[in-house]
Amino acid sequence: MTKKLPVDPDGAEKWEVQLRKGSLELAVLASLWDGRLYGLEILRRLENDSDLVVAEGTVYPLLTRLKVLGLVESEWVESDSGHPRKYYWLTSPGRQRALEMARIWRRFSASLSDLLAPLGKEKR
Amino acid sequence: MTISADSQLAIDVYLKVLRKRLRGLSEQVSNEVVKEIHSHILEKAALEGEVTPDSVASALTDLGSPEELASQYVTDDLLARAQVTPSPWLVLQSLFRWAGISIVGFSVLAFSALGYFLAGSFALCAMLKPIHPQTAGLWLLPSPENDYSVSLRLGFASPPAHGRELLGWWIVPIGLAFAMGLVLLTFHFGLWSVRKFWRPARGA
Repeated sequence: MTKKLPVDPDGAEKWEVQLRKGSLELAVLASLWDGRLYGLEILRRLENDSDLVVAEGTVYPLLTRLKVLGLVESEWVESDSGHPRKYYWLTSPGRQRALEMARIWRRFSASLSDLLAPLGKEKR
Repeated sequence: MTISADSQLAIDVYLKVLRKRLRGLSEQVSNEVVKEIHSHILEKAALEGEVTPDSVASALTDLGSPEELASQYVTDDLLARAQVTPSPWLVLQSLFRWAGISIVGFSVLAFSALGYFLAGSFALCAMLKPIHPQTAGLWLLPSPENDYSVSLRLGFASPPAHGRELLGWWIVPIGLAFAMGLVLLTFHFGLWSVRKFWRPARGA
């Protein structure tokens, strides 16, 4: 007989964390859609526009990876604050990838919404 | 911007540990990373206006430990390079790193190790055949339960009693071709697994 595991009361929260992790790459690419931003600005953009609060140390390695993959480009720019800032922007393949990912996200979200429609409604 | 000696020391220590843990990245990338994180710390610490020991400490805490940060950089770098310019050495490096953090990674590494070991054995057997012509090769051996087993022998021991060699000199071309095929297959299996299943862990 299969032993049943106890139901995890935090299961939904853990699932949400995984969902947010999975969407981080799309969110970072989308944050750069309108123009160039530096690391801290990207973090603020994610926080303010997407409710995606990420650990600060996770965005920088991701940006470096996206650069190796040719999806973003970067440049150091001197600032008034006294230290240079590294600005990122989307390359042409990066814009293409962001569009593709957004299309997949919307399609998936729409089809899932149909499936979720009955949830929460009273059973007749 | 004025930074107290204590805060500067805290930043220096953080960046020193980070740089030390970025082993495996090229010096150019490592320098870029340290410069960017340094810039981030100063930027973050000055968000409220004045840079204070508390604001510096808070900026460092928000970044997470330098060890964890470096680990994410190294993982992301391996993953990206394995996707862009795959090489057997890079895939192996990725697999070792993946195996340390995930059961799936460990399983893929175990299968890959088995693949490379088998390939190495066949290649070695093929190369040793001219040196041990009577004993090296693929042998069919009778076992006590009236059954048979196949054994790949390098030829250092005496010929097995009642055994029969299966391929003869054909072990040389077949063994080498099989070894090369197995190396290619194992390499592509590792690369495919890394690309398909390995996702760097991220805090969100």
